Amino acid sequence: MPTIRTAVAAALVAACTPALAGTVTVITSFPKDLTQAYKAAFEKANPGITLEILNKNTVSGIAYVRETPEGQRPEVFWASAPDAFEVLGREKLLAAAPQAANPNVPAKIGDYPVNDPNGLYMGQALAGYGIMYNTRYLKANKLTPPAEWKDLLAPQWFGHLGMTSPSRSGTMHLTVETILQGEGWDEGWRTLLRMSGNASQMTERSFGVPDGVNNGQFGAGPVIDFFGLSSKYSNFPVEFVYPTETAVVPANIALIAGAKNPEEGKKFIAFALSPAGQELLLEPKISRLPVLPYKDLAGKIPPGYPDPAEIAARSKVRFDADLSQTRYYVVQALFDQTITFRLGELQAATKAIYDAERKLGEKAKSGQAAELLEQARKLAWSPLIDAKAAADPELLKAFSGGKKDASASQRVSQLEGQWSSKAKANYEQAAKLAHQAAAL
Amino acid sequence: MTFASDSRLPAGPLLAALLVLAFLALFLIVPVGTVFYSAFVNDDGSFTLGHFGAFFAQPLMQEAFFNSLYVAGWSALLASLLAVPLAYFTVRFEFRGALLIQTLGVLPLIMPPFVGAVAMQLIFGRSGTVNLLLDDWFGFTLPFMEGLNGVIFVEALHYFPFILMNLTVALRNIDGAMEEAAFNLGSRGFRLFRRVIFPLALPGYVAGASLVFVKVFDDLGTPLVLGTTNMLAPQAYLRITRVGLEDPLGYVISVIMVGFSILALWLSARVLQGKDYSTLQKGGNSIRRRRLGPGESVLAYGWIALVLLLVLSPHLGVLLLSLATVWSYAPLPDGYTLAHFEAVFSESHGMITNTLLYCGLAAGVDVVLGTAIAYLMLRTRLPGRQWLDFLASAALAIPGIVLAIGLLRTFRGVEIPLTGTLVTSSWLLIMIAYAVRRLPYALRSCVAALQQIHVSLEEAAQSLGAGRLRTIRRVVVPLMAGGMLAGFVTSFITAAVELSATIMLVTRDSQAPMSYGIYLYMQSAAGRGPGAALGVLAVIAVGVGTYISHLLVERASVRTRPARNEESA
Amino acid sequence: MKKVSVECRNIRLSYGGTEVLKDVSIHVEPGEFFALLGPSGSGKSTLLRLIAGFNRQSHGQLLIDGKDVGNMPPWRRNIGMVFQNYALWPHMTVWDNVAFGLVERRMGRAEIRDKVQAALDLVGLSQYAKRRPNQLSGGQQQRVALARTIVIEPQVLLLDEPLSNLDKKLRVQMRQDLLALQRRLGITTIFVTHDQEEAMTTADRMAVLDHGVVQQVGTPATLFDFPVNRFVANFVGTMNVLEGTVRERSSSSLVLAVPGVGDLQLPLAGEAPQADRIAASFRPHTVQIEMADGLGDARYVWLPGVVEASEFLGEFTRYQVQVGDQRITADQPHLAGLSPFPVGAPVSIGLEPSQIRLLAA
Repeated sequence: MPTIRTAVAAALVAACTPALAGTVTVITSFPKDLTQAYKAAFEKANPGITLEILNKNTVSGIAYVRETPEGQRPEVFWASAPDAFEVLGREKLLAAAPQAANPNVPAKIGDYPVNDPNGLYMGQALAGYGIMYNTRYLKANKLTPPAEWKDLLAPQWFGHLGMTSPSRSGTMHLTVETILQGEGWDEGWRTLLRMSGNASQMTERSFGVPDGVNNGQFGAGPVIDFFGLSSKYSNFPVEFVYPTETAVVPANIALIAGAKNPEEGKKFIAFALSPAGQELLLEPKISRLPVLPYKDLAGKIPPGYPDPAEIAARSKVRFDADLSQTRYYVVQALFDQTITFRLGELQAATKAIYDAERKLGEKAKSGQAAELLEQARKLAWSPLIDAKAAADPELLKAFSGGKKDASASQRVSQLEGQWSSKAKANYEQAAKLAHQAAAL
Repeated sequence: MTFASDSRLPAGPLLAALLVLAFLALFLIVPVGTVFYSAFVNDDGSFTLGHFGAFFAQPLMQEAFFNSLYVAGWSALLASLLAVPLAYFTVRFEFRGALLIQTLGVLPLIMPPFVGAVAMQLIFGRSGTVNLLLDDWFGFTLPFMEGLNGVIFVEALHYFPFILMNLTVALRNIDGAMEEAAFNLGSRGFRLFRRVIFPLALPGYVAGASLVFVKVFDDLGTPLVLGTTNMLAPQAYLRITRVGLEDPLGYVISVIMVGFSILALWLSARVLQGKDYSTLQKGGNSIRRRRLGPGESVLAYGWIALVLLLVLSPHLGVLLLSLATVWSYAPLPDGYTLAHFEAVFSESHGMITNTLLYCGLAAGVDVVLGTAIAYLMLRTRLPGRQWLDFLASAALAIPGIVLAIGLLRTFRGVEIPLTGTLVTSSWLLIMIAYAVRRLPYALRSCVAALQQIHVSLEEAAQSLGAGRLRTIRRVVVPLMAGGMLAGFVTSFITAAVELSATIMLVTRDSQAPMSYGIYLYMQSAAGRGPGAALGVLAVIAVGVGTYISHLLVERASVRTRPARNEESA
Repeated sequence: MKKVSVECRNIRLSYGGTEVLKDVSIHVEPGEFFALLGPSGSGKSTLLRLIAGFNRQSHGQLLIDGKDVGNMPPWRRNIGMVFQNYALWPHMTVWDNVAFGLVERRMGRAEIRDKVQAALDLVGLSQYAKRRPNQLSGGQQQRVALARTIVIEPQVLLLDEPLSNLDKKLRVQMRQDLLALQRRLGITTIFVTHDQEEAMTTADRMAVLDHGVVQQVGTPATLFDFPVNRFVANFVGTMNVLEGTVRERSSSSLVLAVPGVGDLQLPLAGEAPQADRIAASFRPHTVQIEMADGLGDARYVWLPGVVEASEFLGEFTRYQVQVGDQRITADQPHLAGLSPFPVGAPVSIGLEPSQIRLLAA
């Protein structure tokens, strides 16, 4: 009996030691391949420090940091979506770590600042957004390889796309914002709605889309570049393209305020920004773009590897992070209520419209059929609130209010309910109209 | 058995009962109570049904509620479809496939559903093996895995053994005389089955079906892995992790889930109560077995083959995935490799160690508590001791995610004394969640084991001078050892594949046990292979563990059979 | 080993709402082989378990060697009990089973070895020491159980229906072995049985219980010859009873009017109760049976009857004879060549007055 007792006591102590000094805890949504590589390299370079990874998607990560008391928090937040860092910064959950910065990192990529002007977070890697597709799937279903977002809106793509929701994926949110900022609010939503109409599924995590394309569940989907590139390099039958409407946006790394071991946290940040840390990004299984310019990494760049500077120059979109951040919650709520949770109805409406167009052929271009179809399209593919309403400060305030504010959250609930029902009604009406048109 | 002692309430048992009660209170009652409290209370502490109102007002929540019921119901139905014919074949016919059916009854249970789900996508998904072939040969596809269908399919395939086992036992216990009496009165064939046999077996069926319903209703891992989030369990998870521990809707969902679990279990208990149709008397026979006619043979074996194929598909799929180089949009993988297993063995022994640690400790705690409760229940006259059994078994009705939420809420901000760590950040909470939720299984094993020990064996020890504790140590525990070990193994293997509570409670990758590890692996393209490899290891471990558990129980029951009372010198 | 007395004084015990032992008082002499006899439900096992310490009395006292042990837990009473199902521990060998009590007493290993060996020798099971209980026959298990209790040299030995699980032949053998063992060791022994033959053949004294009440305590012969009431009379051996009203009474004889039989003239061999209704009780083996037309021996009181049934039991033939309204059991010793009376034969039944006990009806 006594031996068992001492063994348990020893285990208990051992269990609690990771919290002692010598540990850096990193919250990140990055996959195991990446975190594993960094962990191995960092621990090798810094014997005596252990790297602990907390794998959480962006939104859960924010909630986690917020709910952990000061002094107990993890050290580093490392994620793709800059919006998350904005939110954290505003809530005073980040601490500046200027000593960890690497002076060779350029200030901007395209027009986009790499680091936070307030110094609370820094760019660590770069990523673009684009389309990933499965070559076998396309071949079997006779689809043309897409090059732009608009290509995915064609009727031939109905039921072949995979998408996810911006509320579940920081990267999807960025993609959505890129499209909205590139095409304008109304046109952007049209694109998103039509694309979603062509989707077969809304996946739970952002990884669900590249995963689905990888194993041939969908033909194509919007993904962040490294998912597509790493899959390609892992010999999956996939390809990745950057449309002209793309943004190259930094993935950021920041020191969390109230962390347990801030000094060691800074060490990790410095490592991640150093040439050694940046080189890790180039591994085929990881396939991310470094923030350090290619001239500083000469000799390490694999042939054919995309150049972020060049992509950013090519892009049509001047990404405005502030705008994105102000309407962060509104965009998410609108997307969820009108697309994610109404996917079935949206798909039905879209299908009805395509069917009608196909059936009517030339007749769809004029006369009553054309009118009905135009109406149907408007109902199915227009955003529920226009750009002006979306910018309304009252609305924005209501959505940014915390859960504690009962009246705000009630208003939000109400709005969400309204949007959801209106969207449903709209889609059903659109489908009806389309059927009517088809019957003509 | 009571005996003369100098106090009304014997001190030893009372202390033990209080310790058990303290454990249950701290780690089951308070957390669940907190969940219920939060669902019904405003920020200022006043009672409100407003949160429930907000829940039912949201179309998404209504949908999630309906979907959960829909999925659970259909899973039970599909599971019945699979199980009832199999049970009927086993009991009704002279059958060489009996062993096969027994295997069918165990195989699904050793593969955790969320592991199988991924493989099922690859085989039955839109571009999976089956549909690709169907499309090629016949030009159509079947939406096996679309949306809710996928969840139903995977769950039914995993849980149908519950119905199979319960129904088979119930059918076997029907006295053949019942059937013969019906023959006598002119009934036969399917009518006989429908009017006499099935109604008598109904309680067994209901027990199995309601268990399936509850488990599917509560399952978090499968919907999550399949990407279906408009169900109650995933919604609770999403809300609590994204919106935070303050989000009242997460608690509302938890209360609803607990409510339905209790309802289903109570219903099944009600139906079974007083309807112990096991009419088999001493010397009576079970239902007569017939030989199969040729036509019937084909049907029977055909059905069994089909079910076997279905049942094996997740196993095969995971095996293939673990050995595949690339498997995309093709009926079978492009090539095969052992690299994934290598990766697992080199990288993941931390996870394996974690599983051994958490599950081993949890199972140990369960066995100790289970033995204590069994002893208190069966061997003392402590007032209210039935409550210990009831409370411990109540853990069955609490979904893993609800317990996790409750624990997080209860211990928020609490530090482990003498270390600087938060309870919620340490693996202790994971182990405790496992222990609490597995306790009912260990308890049943311990109770069964103790019931087999005649009380005179303890009285004999006492009359020879051994006090209560020494009697327990020298007589009771050794004789219960087989059952205790079986309870340990059951606890261990069910904890090893648990995901619902694990997802919520794991705070860092290094804490991850195998189940969470598999989930993590599945998050990246290159991780599917190793994830599947880990899944294969988990399945083997569970399979071996189940087998050992059976052996132990068999051996134990042989040993404790009462001493022969033969009449030869 | 000191011989101790066991005394129950006014013991009362209730289970739930039912009173199982009602005011039981028994005194067992040191070194006595005492039997508790009664039908099932009589409370005899309950009383035994109470003495062992597994039940607790609601009223009354239990004294062992003059000391009140009512509040002592079983493990401190130094009482050895052999259970009806032997309660041998299946996970221990015969040796370990027997050694159990000594291990509890923290005895030295050498001492334990010697004592266990001696105990096994005593019951004749030395060569089975390494076996497990489920490898032994019923009789062997019983001896192990016995060895296990006597090895600790208890003050009192309690046996709960020790022979009821054995077949007849073995039972007969074992009861003598038990008795011999007890004589040798001299331990005060109380044993419980429902079989009156067992009690009578082994006990020094016995107590008959019915529904928790002690009916009579005494030596087997006393209970057999002089039962105080009909229950004891019927329980200990078989008893014929002719109930009737007293017609005439004198100092030397009594006329009993038995309905359906007639008047019986009974010379009084002992005392007779003063009641008006009297039950004349007599044992079957004291009854003579002869062909009806025979001349009866004048020592007996003859009654006419018809043979209703006969059972051949080897040593004797038991006849059920219908005498008027009454059924009388008569045992006739059997000798080789003697043919039984056929069923339906008219016979004469002869009662021996000195063997008739007159009890209150």
